Amino acid sequence: MDKPLTAEELDLIRRLQEGENPDAGYDPYEPTVEWFTGKGKEEIMPLSAAPEPKRRWVPSKWEKQKVMKIVRAIRQGRIVPNKPKTASDKPQFYNVWGEEPANQPPPPPAPKPRLPTHAESYNPPEEYLPTEEEKKQWEETEKEDREREFLPQKYSALRLVPAYNQFIQERFQRQLDLYLAPRVTRTKLQIDPNSLIPKLPSPSSLKPFPVYKSLEVAHDKGRTRSVSISPDGTWAASGDENGVVNMWEVVVGKVVKSWKFKGKVGAVEWCPRTDVCFLVVATEEQLHFLIPPNLPTSILVATQAVLAPSQLPPAPATPSPVKWQSTSAAASTSDSAILIISLPSNSGLPRQVAWHRRGDYLATVASGEGQGGVWIHQISRRHSQAPFKKVKGTVQSVLFHPTKPHFFVATQRYVRIYNLAEQKLLKTLQPGIRWISSMDVHPLGDHLIVGGYDRKLCWFDLELSDKPYKILRYHSRAIRSLHFHPTYPLFASSSDDGSIQVFHARVYNDLMTDPLIVPLKILRGHQVREGLGVLQIKWVPKQSWLVSAGADGQVAVWCS
Amino acid sequence: MASTSSSEVSHPVVFSTQTQYPLPTQKFMIPASWRRYQLSQLVNKALSLTKPVPFDFLVRGEILRTTLGEWCAEHGVEEEETLEIEYIESVMPPQRMTSLPHEDWVSSISCQESGLFLTASYDGNVRLFDYSQTLLQTVPVHSAAITSATYVKKNGENTRLVATASHDLTARLAEISVSPVDPSPSRVVASLHLHTGPLTGISANTSGSQLLTSSADGLIGLWDTSIPKSDEVPLDDAPSERKKRRKLDEGQEARPKRKAPVAVLKSHTARVSKALFTRDGKSAVSAGFDSTVRTWDVENGVCTSTITAAAKPFVDIALPHSGNTVLAASTDRTVSQYDLRAAESSAVTAAITSLPHPATPSCIAVPSAGSSEHQLVTGAYDGVVRLWDLRSAKSAVTSFKVWDARPASGRKILSVDWAPGVVGIGGEGGVEVWRVGEGDRLPAQTS
Repeated sequence: MDKPLTAEELDLIRRLQEGENPDAGYDPYEPTVEWFTGKGKEEIMPLSAAPEPKRRWVPSKWEKQKVMKIVRAIRQGRIVPNKPKTASDKPQFYNVWGEEPANQPPPPPAPKPRLPTHAESYNPPEEYLPTEEEKKQWEETEKEDREREFLPQKYSALRLVPAYNQFIQERFQRQLDLYLAPRVTRTKLQIDPNSLIPKLPSPSSLKPFPVYKSLEVAHDKGRTRSVSISPDGTWAASGDENGVVNMWEVVVGKVVKSWKFKGKVGAVEWCPRTDVCFLVVATEEQLHFLIPPNLPTSILVATQAVLAPSQLPPAPATPSPVKWQSTSAAASTSDSAILIISLPSNSGLPRQVAWHRRGDYLATVASGEGQGGVWIHQISRRHSQAPFKKVKGTVQSVLFHPTKPHFFVATQRYVRIYNLAEQKLLKTLQPGIRWISSMDVHPLGDHLIVGGYDRKLCWFDLELSDKPYKILRYHSRAIRSLHFHPTYPLFASSSDDGSIQVFHARVYNDLMTDPLIVPLKILRGHQVREGLGVLQIKWVPKQSWLVSAGADGQVAVWCS
Repeated sequence: MASTSSSEVSHPVVFSTQTQYPLPTQKFMIPASWRRYQLSQLVNKALSLTKPVPFDFLVRGEILRTTLGEWCAEHGVEEEETLEIEYIESVMPPQRMTSLPHEDWVSSISCQESGLFLTASYDGNVRLFDYSQTLLQTVPVHSAAITSATYVKKNGENTRLVATASHDLTARLAEISVSPVDPSPSRVVASLHLHTGPLTGISANTSGSQLLTSSADGLIGLWDTSIPKSDEVPLDDAPSERKKRRKLDEGQEARPKRKAPVAVLKSHTARVSKALFTRDGKSAVSAGFDSTVRTWDVENGVCTSTITAAAKPFVDIALPHSGNTVLAASTDRTVSQYDLRAAESSAVTAAITSLPHPATPSCIAVPSAGSSEHQLVTGAYDGVVRLWDLRSAKSAVTSFKVWDARPASGRKILSVDWAPGVVGIGGEGGVEVWRVGEGDRLPAQTS
């Protein structure tokens, strides 16, 4: 509903718009009312009754002296009254920005004072106001111990705020801050984070390496602890904890022969020799030597001659606790072991069988008591010996050096290298692993990888140092098995997290060039059963294929 | 339809074909929303075929599975660009016909003899089935696993000479009676002694006069199929009583004659997976784990040319009928086609076509002569048989799973064979037979 404005209101609005006094009756130009001075307000009474002094009308002598001094100077020409202006008298300008910039960085800016918060407001919200107890506590604490140097106070209006009594102190503190501010400029590092990543070749340029699971061979019951590939790469043998050893084709995955043993199978290894063909199966306190079926006659005869010679070599002078029993060559079949080596009782299950490259010696590591459980067996002399009288710590793994007469022994914390020919300790490697699980030596023999239950993988350059050249920590659970490929520059590690990791490891003959280690591929596919993942991995000789045995009873072939 | 097509985008298309149904060279304006079905109808109408023939369409080497517009959008083809579309007779969906149960794995199947399936199993037996699933013969040829079996030739009306290769380091020739009414006893007539590693394959030439064996020891043996009167290879000195006993048993019946090879082809440095005769029988092609495909002059026994691939261990090869190319399956999950004429001995040869598989392809079969020479069938370890057209290398034309009831890891296919209309698949689950290919149109094509 419209309400018409009255004339007074319109006039008021007009005045406000024009910035005039809104009161129409206000006259800004009222005539001055003379209250104290002006006409008719002259003072009649002097303020002082003292008589006028003489100096008020006598000319000043001192002034005259001053003037006369100037006059004399003018006369003598010391002062030129209208001195002509010279160029130097002109105001001199210069280009402020024309100078070369200083070499040193500009002085650092003063530290900025802290910005006020809500609590420092003259009218802070209620929640910022201290309670009585807080106030009391603030007053009781020492000045330097106080959290803040003021108490928030509430004023309803800004004009009620009194003068700030801490002003001087605060200014002083501020000057102190400026004075004590460190005059150091902190230079920021201009580093591209990508440039810190080592330059590694792309995995696709390092083919071939295994990338997918081609086939699986299942063991019905029990974990498959061990797998081994024949030296020609045609056959694989896998043993499980149920005592079953299967021999199968690597390419097809068809089990062609199966053996059953009492107790667990701890290790399966093919003999690396090519002129004979047999495999060793380690069960509780026994090593079984098996001849696979369908061998050519020449190889079969040679194998039988090696394992069950018609003329036994002379027995050693001191009786050994290790018994060698062989079936005669004629009576032997591929169904049962042709040779059985019985380790001394209480020696437990051999966890590892390590062949020497020539295939005459093999070393076994058992979990049992005495001598660290390490035995070295020589096939040609049918003789076993324990190389160590006593070993500090339990032996985890042993290895023969591929070219020299050296022997690697991994105890729980250290790897010791012995010279078997001279019978002395050469070197002790300190991987810094809490519990070593496995190790493997590079086929050239100068590099060693050691894996531990604490997920670490150490690469040792044996020529370089006792300390690892590189420590890789890529697995999320304990490392179980490591293996170098005999011909390709590859190695792989398997772990309890169910994964296998494949690395490219190129070793140069040049001593100055560091080995090149490139992670290539993580192979997943094994199930983790009861905290155990992939228990052993082996490369297929001559191919870039990997065979892995898992705790889920599966043995898988990974093809490139 | 007419109201929408006026506003619709259309593509200029030129059709070409190598089938017996050519269209005149002419530009067609095809609506972008058309699929294979409409295109196939168009071709049928344009040719006014009395009996409708379904076609598949290859656009730039890829089978059209979406609408034409979607294909163009995916490949960034402009509207005005003229598309060349090749059409091929489409393959009927494969149908499962029968399954022939086996106790052990089947390593080899052959359906080259019409009406019969020859299977070789890891239990050492060769079995013969007819099309009504009846087991005609079970011949225990080997005591160890058989890896390959093939027909060699007809020995009379009712007997066939069959060659088998086995893990026991021998190949054998067996006479098998195929007559269901009068099954005369089958017998092993000769055993072929050369290899020192398990045999991987055996193949015969078309006339059945020569055989090729391949082995894991890297040798290829060339044999004739005549049966010698006496042993050509002396008996190996019996190392154990077991062998002696076996030989005595064999000696009571007609013991197979021991044959020696005509020639040994040596060049492969690793396991040889397969050796095949070419159609004319004068040369042979072999492939092995040393990533080479070698061509051999059979008469002189020399390697004439070598195709070297990069890190491709070959597990099987097949020779298409055109004769100039070879198909090779390798464990890097590809089946590659190589040109035999482009073989160089040193440099790495690139494949013409590469067919990617999700699992290891283990076997290849090409159709018999006269049918489409661009097609092939591959079996893989994932239990899937795929039918490929070499002009469309990106994905298989069709595929089917065998042994559905078995677990995924236990469905490996080890052998496929393709006779007209029938594909036999042998592997871990026994044998399955599927109807694949032309099916109903088969009589029309032969006429």
